[in-house]
Amino acid sequence: MTTAREIWVVVAGMAAANFLLRFAPMSLVSRTRLPEPVQRWLSYVPVSVMASLVATEILRPGGTWLITMRNPYLLAAAPTALVFVKTRSFLGATLAGMVSFLAFRALLG
Amino acid sequence: MSVPAAEAPPAPASKRARFARGLRLGLPILLGYAPVGLTFGILARKSGFSAFQAIACSATALAGAGQFIALSVLSAGGGVPAVLMATAVVNLRYVLFSAALAQSLPREPRILKPVLAFTLTDETFAVNTTDARGCTLDVVSATGVGAIAWLGWVGGTALGALAAGAIVDPSRFGAEFAMPAMFTALLAGQIETRTHAAAAVIAAAVALASSALLSGSWGMIAGATLGAALAAWWLR
Repeated sequence: MTTAREIWVVVAGMAAANFLLRFAPMSLVSRTRLPEPVQRWLSYVPVSVMASLVATEILRPGGTWLITMRNPYLLAAAPTALVFVKTRSFLGATLAGMVSFLAFRALLG
Repeated sequence: MSVPAAEAPPAPASKRARFARGLRLGLPILLGYAPVGLTFGILARKSGFSAFQAIACSATALAGAGQFIALSVLSAGGGVPAVLMATAVVNLRYVLFSAALAQSLPREPRILKPVLAFTLTDETFAVNTTDARGCTLDVVSATGVGAIAWLGWVGGTALGALAAGAIVDPSRFGAEFAMPAMFTALLAGQIETRTHAAAAVIAAAVALASSALLSGSWGMIAGATLGAALAAWWLR
């Protein structure tokens, strides 16, 4: 059984570990100018991260493949993207996505 | 958002207005985090955390998947080193995000840099890099994004930890699609050129293929690093 004291050690350790992962690269990198190829690579990291997240969350929700036209995650992604492209509003697109997800899930049982 | 790139450095707005703008930009993150934080609060109580410990963990780590894996390692009888190793591996992608974000950080004010680092997550990274669009990031606005994300995560955890059990099922409101919806919108906003689209396709394919084989967030890390590398060095 985990004691209260162990849990506090875990809490403190997790705070330290996660801050270190996030802060060390930022403070090291901003002091030096990175080589041009590395800068170019980093400039494509955001779009690649987004695509990786979207693909796995939509086609493997909960960690299992769901490649069918009855996948509410996949179906709801289309109106979400459409609303964002039309309105440029993240909040609007997120809400539209949640509503269409509920609708698709209800329709498909 | 739709400001042309050349004007991206913020117009001379007050700090308060820039912070408020960040809060608005980050509002979808709050929507996505609250239900997941709530789940963490409930599970943490079941794993032997007190309500205060659960809230303190969310408030100081702000680590999403890293916190869930910690619970499962603890429940499986893993010691403190195993827990810390697991949370670090799951959140290794922050190293990548942190280095990428550093490219669009202004020199000053230095004092906000640790705050930005502390609130760096998949979602705040996505919102902030989209907002900066390859130019200099407005760090005051980015602090607002971080603040509201933190509020959603910690508030959700508090709700779950204090009211564990007596809660309506958040999936009734479509909460499990809040995060995918936001990522979809962010992805749509990030695709500016053909090379960006190619990076996205490669990243998605690699992430899917490897997430079927690898555990944790390794699939995503593989997709992100390879997709960006091929787009940057091979396709341009």
